[in-house]
Amino acid sequence: MTTNTTRVPAIEVENLTVSFGPRPALLNVSVTIEQGLLVGIIGPNGAGKSTLVKSILGFVKPDLGVVRLLGKPIEDAKGRLAYVPQRGSVDWDYPITVYEVAMMGRYPNIPWWRDPGREDREIVEKALEMVRMSDFKDRQIGRLSGGQQQRVFMARALAQGSDILLLDEPFAGVDAATERAILDVLERAKQTGRTLVVVHHDLATAAEYFDRLMLIKQRLYAYGTPQQVLNQELLSEVYEGKLKVFSGMEKSEECRA
Amino acid sequence: MLDLFFAAFLAPLRETFFQKALIGGSIAAIVCSVVGCLVILRRMAFLGDALSHAMIAGVAGGYLFMKILFGAEAHAPAMLIGSLIAAIVTVASIGFVSRVSRIKDDTAIGIMYTGVFAGGVVLVSVFRGYIHIDLMHFIMGDVLGVADSDLWVAAISAGIVLSILILFFRHFQLTSFDPVMAASIGLPVTLIDYTLTTCVSLVVVSAVSMVGVILVVGLLITPAASAYLLSDRLDRMMILAAIFGVTSVTGGLYLSMWLDSSGGGAIMLFCSLQFIIVLIFAPNYGLLSRWLRLRQALPQQLVEDILVETSRPENGLTVDQLQQKILKGKSVLKKAIKRMARDGLLEIKDRTVLLTASGAQEAHRILRAHRLWEAYMSHVGLASNSEIHSTAHKLEHVHDEESVDYLDDLLGHPIYDPHGAIIPQSDSHCSVGGVCSLSYLRDGANGEILEAPENLRQMGLRPGVGIRVGRRKENVAEWPVFLNNGSELVLDHKSADGLLIKITSVSS
Repeated sequence: MTTNTTRVPAIEVENLTVSFGPRPALLNVSVTIEQGLLVGIIGPNGAGKSTLVKSILGFVKPDLGVVRLLGKPIEDAKGRLAYVPQRGSVDWDYPITVYEVAMMGRYPNIPWWRDPGREDREIVEKALEMVRMSDFKDRQIGRLSGGQQQRVFMARALAQGSDILLLDEPFAGVDAATERAILDVLERAKQTGRTLVVVHHDLATAAEYFDRLMLIKQRLYAYGTPQQVLNQELLSEVYEGKLKVFSGMEKSEECRA
Repeated sequence: MLDLFFAAFLAPLRETFFQKALIGGSIAAIVCSVVGCLVILRRMAFLGDALSHAMIAGVAGGYLFMKILFGAEAHAPAMLIGSLIAAIVTVASIGFVSRVSRIKDDTAIGIMYTGVFAGGVVLVSVFRGYIHIDLMHFIMGDVLGVADSDLWVAAISAGIVLSILILFFRHFQLTSFDPVMAASIGLPVTLIDYTLTTCVSLVVVSAVSMVGVILVVGLLITPAASAYLLSDRLDRMMILAAIFGVTSVTGGLYLSMWLDSSGGGAIMLFCSLQFIIVLIFAPNYGLLSRWLRLRQALPQQLVEDILVETSRPENGLTVDQLQQKILKGKSVLKKAIKRMARDGLLEIKDRTVLLTASGAQEAHRILRAHRLWEAYMSHVGLASNSEIHSTAHKLEHVHDEESVDYLDDLLGHPIYDPHGAIIPQSDSHCSVGGVCSLSYLRDGANGEILEAPENLRQMGLRPGVGIRVGRRKENVAEWPVFLNNGSELVLDHKSADGLLIKITSVSS
């Protein structure tokens, strides 16, 4: 990564409005995410988290507003962003190894008449190393634990060579130890200067995991450090009627401190 | 005429073979259709097909067993038990293969049943000197040649299967709907699964002699599928499926008499036609009703465009004038207007389209959204002046009240849009008798303070005090208010948001 790109924000969202009917899914959302951060998107169910992700991916056309990746409009920024979908849509019995899945990340760069070159293989090895899956590279993907499977798909995203990674609920349905392992990978990807944006649903761990949080419910309620975002007033406004849960949670945090 | 009727409908009924076919066929069809309901809900149609094919090995085995050991020729009970065994072995091996290996269910079924079927075919051809089974008969069936023994087999297996289904209805319903929950409350899910497949084997065995190996799966699933399109409850679906099964057999048998065709073929042809008719005409899930629903649905955008256009001139528009503005086909427009008149949004007087009170209210809401979106775009500098109107025209359809109020608040409750036109006030907030914060109100509104924060109370704005809203300067976010005692105050946006007013009158 060259020094002149580090100045440009990784993701800029400007006055974004997206609607699928009379009620907009996102309304007047503006946010600037600097490079090299680990960012969590939080908000209640139906708050527009996935619509925001789809807008950043360019899957939905906004009514109004623009999204820029590394200073370029999304149409010109193909390949700058890699997406890690939720687990579940994959046939885990498919006859394919860890290494081959990671190599799929290189497919956009390999013309059909050529085999993967040495450079591709090196990138894949490096990506597998980063997610600590090198030892399993010849293993069929069904013979891995849930957290390992998640890491393989992160390796695939890393192999794409994108500067920005978008992860949809990577912590959904994994145990605490696995969560740690995944977080470890995210941290290390961040060390290489990548920007990671993660859809997250667990408020209890949000403060601990992320450098910045984005709290949305149709509109952007807050973007900033966890201390700025996770305050009682904002949360009770966004998670209306579920206030008790959070006051209880904060208390338990106080006890720990 | 009467003769013709007699010849066509009553004459066949006098024939014994026809009576037997009708009775045997109906029994088989009823039980097939009822079990078929569970089969299609579990997506096991392919398994039904597999079972019917696997049977041939059992039939040959049973035949051979009795012939060699006891010298009995074509011993029906033995053949029946043989085919049941073959069916259950097939099911068990399918389950085994898909459980212990990565091979998926559908592939396992394909492998196992063709294997068993092939075994049967080889058995029959090797021992063709001993076994007198006509493979063609087995494959095509012969409903018009139903023997008494076939009738007994059909009746007994129908009795057993129907009793099991009725007694354990809830068990079957739960395991087919949510097997995990069924297991969690302690139902023997595997046993229930095997019971169901045994039932399927039984009904298939009893129906194969009538309609044949190939067509039996049709009798199993087609009436059930027809019923599926017509009912939303499993018990009703089963009853309907049974009725469709009987009508298929009856209709098919008459068809085969009139056309002098194969009985099994005619039954399944009738059954398929019946399904196609249901598919077209079913009231909720049918093609015709779907098409009608799509045709009936007016695009919301068109409705809203008509409302806004009609609200502009004082005394309405003719259809032609409306067409010039909206640029849609005349018939589409006329239909929309008719529907909107029926919904109470428009009325038509002397060929002129007018808004009703509720239509005007809707138009007002959309216009407010439109102008606020224009103000918003100009505020964030997103679109050039020429684009603003056309983009706002699209965005006005995003008029969810909460979102529009948010824009209004974000912009400091502007009075004029960028073109200088007045932005309509929110009807739901600003009508007489309503309660809203001061920031939504404009010049000439009178009301009584309902709630006020402490800092405003100290300025005399206490609950119960009557106020009048003064004229704001352009779009400036400052609210002049006149108190009852004659004093005048100017509130900023935040204070105006905090002051809740019950509106008593509005003078324009």
